[in-house]
Amino acid sequence: MAKRYDAVVIGGGHNGLVNAAYLARAGLKVLVLERRHLLGGATLTEEIVPGFRFSVFSYVVSLLRPEIIRELQLPKHGLEILPLDGTITPLDDDYLWRVNDHGATVRELRRWSLNDAEAYEEYGPLMAEMGRFIKPILSVPPPDPGRLSPGEWMPLTPLAKRFRNLPKRLQTTFIQLMTMSAADFLDQWFETEPLKATMSASGIIGTFQGPRSPGTAYVLLHHYMGEIDGAFRAWGIPRGGTGAIAYAIAGAALAEGVEIRTEAPVARIRTQGGRATGVVLDSGEEIDAGVVMSSLDSRWTFITLLDDSVLDPAFKAEVLRYKYRGSSGKVNLALDGLPELACKPGKGEWLRGAISFSPSIDYIEHAYDDAKYGQPSARPYIDMIIPTLVDPSMAPPGNHVMSCFIQYAPYHLADGEVWDDAKREAFGQNVIDTIEERFPDIRRHIVGHQFVTPKDIEDITGLSEGNIFQGELSLEQLFFNRPVPGWSRYRTPVRDLWMCGSATHPGGGIMGAPGRISALEYLKEKRKGRRAA
Amino acid sequence: MAKTIDTVVIGAGHNGLIAAASLARAGRRVVVLERAERPGGILRGSQPAPGFRAPGLIHTVGRLRSSVMKDLRLERFGYSTVAPAVRMHAPIPDGSATTFWADAARTAEELRPRSVRDAEAFVGFDQRMRAIASFLAYVQVAIPPDPRSPSLADAIMGLRLGKAFRDLGAKTGREAIRALPMAVADLVQEVFELESVRGPLCTRGVLYTAMGAWATGTAQVLLNDSAGTDGGAAGTAVFARGGTDALADALEAAATARGVQLRTQHDVVAIRTRGDRVQGVTLADGAEVDVPLVVSTADPKRTMRLLDPAEVGPTMHWRGENIRQPGATARVNFALGDLPAFHGGDPERLAGRIVIGPSIDDVERAMDAVKYGRVSEEPVLEATIPSLTDPSLAPEGKHVMSVVFQAAPLRLRGGDWADEREHVGEIAIKTLERYAPGFGELVEACEVVTPLDMEERYALTGGHLYHAELGLDQFFAWRPMLGEARYRFLFDGLYLAGSGAHPGGGITGGPGTNAVRKILKDL
Repeated sequence: MAKRYDAVVIGGGHNGLVNAAYLARAGLKVLVLERRHLLGGATLTEEIVPGFRFSVFSYVVSLLRPEIIRELQLPKHGLEILPLDGTITPLDDDYLWRVNDHGATVRELRRWSLNDAEAYEEYGPLMAEMGRFIKPILSVPPPDPGRLSPGEWMPLTPLAKRFRNLPKRLQTTFIQLMTMSAADFLDQWFETEPLKATMSASGIIGTFQGPRSPGTAYVLLHHYMGEIDGAFRAWGIPRGGTGAIAYAIAGAALAEGVEIRTEAPVARIRTQGGRATGVVLDSGEEIDAGVVMSSLDSRWTFITLLDDSVLDPAFKAEVLRYKYRGSSGKVNLALDGLPELACKPGKGEWLRGAISFSPSIDYIEHAYDDAKYGQPSARPYIDMIIPTLVDPSMAPPGNHVMSCFIQYAPYHLADGEVWDDAKREAFGQNVIDTIEERFPDIRRHIVGHQFVTPKDIEDITGLSEGNIFQGELSLEQLFFNRPVPGWSRYRTPVRDLWMCGSATHPGGGIMGAPGRISALEYLKEKRKGRRAA
Repeated sequence: MAKTIDTVVIGAGHNGLIAAASLARAGRRVVVLERAERPGGILRGSQPAPGFRAPGLIHTVGRLRSSVMKDLRLERFGYSTVAPAVRMHAPIPDGSATTFWADAARTAEELRPRSVRDAEAFVGFDQRMRAIASFLAYVQVAIPPDPRSPSLADAIMGLRLGKAFRDLGAKTGREAIRALPMAVADLVQEVFELESVRGPLCTRGVLYTAMGAWATGTAQVLLNDSAGTDGGAAGTAVFARGGTDALADALEAAATARGVQLRTQHDVVAIRTRGDRVQGVTLADGAEVDVPLVVSTADPKRTMRLLDPAEVGPTMHWRGENIRQPGATARVNFALGDLPAFHGGDPERLAGRIVIGPSIDDVERAMDAVKYGRVSEEPVLEATIPSLTDPSLAPEGKHVMSVVFQAAPLRLRGGDWADEREHVGEIAIKTLERYAPGFGELVEACEVVTPLDMEERYALTGGHLYHAELGLDQFFAWRPMLGEARYRFLFDGLYLAGSGAHPGGGITGGPGTNAVRKILKDL
């Protein structure tokens, strides 16, 4: 006799857990099924080297929606976000160091360019204002442009009105952000290369595009929408690593009565008459569900977990042509001491924030060129943090963890080659060589390492092609085209099978918005259904 | 200048002549002021050697709106076209080639021996491109909506656009919205498996732009190129009989027949304004023409620079200077002793566009050069041999060949165009030699038009043939800038009617025609 739940959520990543918590809050009996022994998906902290806790994949947080923190009372369940202060861009014999202290940053920029210092004063507030304008989009389900009936566009009407009421300068900026390359956009404002490069880098994180690729300015904004306690553009790390977020959300879910099972991989989604009725685990166990919520990407959900006969071939073709193309890797290092920057020796404050390997736009663009033709970047862009400076609990006393986000590392290699152990090792050593150019003493301090290629991301987390956003954040895959054109509203062609992960609007990052909006949409539909009955 | 004039058109390119003729027909008394010796703008060709007549900067005319031809009765003024059965012939390094015919089924049949999958996909892809392009054709004739109107959504819906969009059906509608912002490489890669099909199709998405095949929005360049024409997937190959000069002559004749006055070697150096209104223009010799209506077909940046910066205001000036006009195209014209022997190319296959861009990576690599400010050593080329369809353009038995060369960015890092000119010719010959062995020996003369020439000789700021880059950031309601896309440009009575305005560049007549419609509505 199969067990029965009102809802079964596939995947115990942050979105799956958020979704489960919201459903349970509304009184549903919910079960979360996680394949691995740990919760978190890509929001994962794991002790890879004894004594050192690595945030294996995602490593900073800023996009987590404040309403989720509030409504699920995450601080009560142990969530504490420690702010990261500033970004330093090391160069050959100089550096650019921006901090959250506005005055100090402007003084630093004056050292480089008076124009840029002045422009910076305008740029920040403008982007913050843009972020405020665009943010409501993150909380509405997208319309279906294929129908274009007024009803479909209703949720957008307030947005259109707000757009109209914006000053023209902001309207222009909005359109530029949606369409321009990060480099072109920033060129309008700034002339200092390391400044432009470092800013543009946030436009390319997780995408398979370069800073000169049109459309990357949008991702700049995506990152500006981050907030911690209402402060825009603030980044932080959770105490205990990003995995702590997953466990805080899990705590909230458990408190709402959610059941969570780890090491319970789902083999397939069971359907009957075009309707999802439950799931079958690898073990053969069957679980009945009123609704199946998948927080996996659409390839996993539809191609791997569903019987082929259930899907309309045209829909299946849409799913198959969706683009993943992971472009990034991670290198996590266990260090027995703090390394020093060649361009700014010492162990000061500048190591407490982000350390960005982005000396010029050309540097990043060259890195992208390598990836375009199927090679890991010879000299990659690295976004590095040393979380132990903010949260010493992540390593034994006096020791440190260095977390390096690496771009580009293409999932698809040239000439049909595939990632293997030798390639992973070469990739990791090349990253360490790159780090050594800025931190000459790095090798002396390394006591353990973890090299993560996009293939590893796929194998460990199940993210197709290692795409950290469950599908590229390119313009044609956003909003109403996410995760499949025509199916942007969390529903799928299979009744009672819903999507709730980063694959859906508004997309990836540790945001939690897809998990929340999908749960609220489902509950709304359920109420409607009950009333109709 | 005659007192009776009430309208000045700046520039006697195709858009200027079309706008002037249409305004004259509506009763305006129009003078066209042209800086060059002859009217025609980028349609004016050259003579690479005695007896050889090469086309202007754009060598095919398939995109010229049929309504323009009809309204201006261009046929009466001697204009006619010829369209060969072949659209595009794309040789590849292994010695074979892909030919794209006007008849998509024929293209598909020729693909079958190499890839059944691509053969089966081609006709469907062609139809999909046509369906989306037919919607874009509506967009192209629309005057972009005003962002300040009661509701942006209403405005878009109110246009015939809304209906056109709904008529597409939900599926194609979604497909259009998905395809427009795509990279052309993605658009073709998800359908075809042969690089020799993908590469040539990709060249259409980067033509005359500074973008690579992986750039977001390049699918839109391809689709716009097919909008309002029967281009489909392969694009058009339509030649003006007598060369593009013949089209310039016909436009000039049509305009003067309507009473338009044409003044060449009249260089406008300033557009004068008072308050919110335009007052007239000032010429290089200091002469002033006072008129209430000035229609500029100069590019948007140049037009803005003709205005008093104090009147334009610092914010608008800053925005205007940030319009992207990154010219990255050179042109090469050859006088050839005989027909070159391209891979798989009997004369019938060479009569359309001959495209060198054998794979996505080749197209992308060629365009990478723009980013680093150098000339591509392995460029993307689009060549035509107009003398195949019109033998009068070259001495008997000989041929004239016109080549679009990408990328050749105006702004070079290290080196300047005085040194690079010859180099471009050499690279073109070397590249063509690879696909047409013996090509070099046929060359009797080689003429290079650099992007710097385009800037200086044709007054194209940035050397961009489309005036403003055809990217998504300069599209429709925000071409060339948001709030200035409805042809009225910065001041009452001043209109932009060149390629920098919606729907953009190419020999279409679209901006000129749309602008006149708006002007007549405003008057």
